Amino acid sequence: MKKLGVIIIQVLFLHVFLFLGIMLKHIIPSPIPSSMYGLLLLFLALLFHIVKLEWVEQGAGWLMAELLLFFIPSAVGIVNYQQIISLQGLEIVVLITVSTIIVMGLTALTADKIAVRKRRRSS
Amino acid sequence: MMIIVYTVATYLIYLLSKKVYSKWNIPFFHPLLLSPILLIVMITLTHVTADQYMEYSKVLSHLLGPATVAFAVPIYKNIAVVRKNIGTILVSIITGTLVAIFSTFVLSKLIRLSYDFSISILPRSITTPIAIEVSKEIGGLPTLTTVFVIITGVVGGIVGPAVLRWLSIQTPIAKGLALGMGAHGVGTNKAMEYGKQEGTFSSLAMIFAALITLVWGIWLIPYL
Repeated sequence: MKKLGVIIIQVLFLHVFLFLGIMLKHIIPSPIPSSMYGLLLLFLALLFHIVKLEWVEQGAGWLMAELLLFFIPSAVGIVNYQQIISLQGLEIVVLITVSTIIVMGLTALTADKIAVRKRRRSS
Repeated sequence: MMIIVYTVATYLIYLLSKKVYSKWNIPFFHPLLLSPILLIVMITLTHVTADQYMEYSKVLSHLLGPATVAFAVPIYKNIAVVRKNIGTILVSIITGTLVAIFSTFVLSKLIRLSYDFSISILPRSITTPIAIEVSKEIGGLPTLTTVFVIITGVVGGIVGPAVLRWLSIQTPIAKGLALGMGAHGVGTNKAMEYGKQEGTFSSLAMIFAALITLVWGIWLIPYL
């Protein structure tokens, strides 16, 4: 129960950075979403010890662990697109599958090559 | 009142789906697949439209904002790892984002997707809040983009481990970067199962992929 309270307070505290992000976006307009500005601000605040890690760690941990939950409402919105629940929908799933396999494969191979070369050089 | 009912219902269905998925581990039971299906059944039975439901459960989708902010924590905690591997991360993620955009573009031409769909699908491999921004920037439909992002997550969480096995990828950095690059938050979720290092690299990949795709959204995609 105490843990739940800590998480709630820390999640609310993270909103401070979300609002600061919204404000910063007004000052420096760009296509970068305000939550990303917030991420940057929180990062800097942690780096310069304005915010202590313990103040946000548990709340942030919960939000990241339950990330899937926050996608669910928009996922239900899929019913608004009849096109997806059709033959075209199947094609789209195949497209995404093929593309994702290529993306993951090439990303993994690139990173693996560099990592192995780096290790060889340092040894 | 409706807000409470549907928020709690969504949370409970999500918990149930997670239990079911961890017990049987069948791709079809993925929480991002099973929960929406159960919820669609529920709203149909209670005569609530999808738009009304999304309005009632806004609190949950709102939390994506602070959740994005929260990713500052793992970056900060792993600042030494980031410094040491920044080159590898940048080269891999620039490759990954370009491959994601171009392969999606070519394949969508191949299956003759309609204009709205083919634009909205381009930022599909990055985390939702930023995918939505990129989508707006390039003239796509944000809801549609969200759907493609979710499909990518579910698919990536399933095929990811298989791809890593086929290519016999050994280094934690390559495993993590590939999962975070290919399947954003869902991939990161999977990477955490592999280990701490994989999870860290995956969240880093997700953040870098989002930022770099944002850049492509402004300077590259409009010229495709």
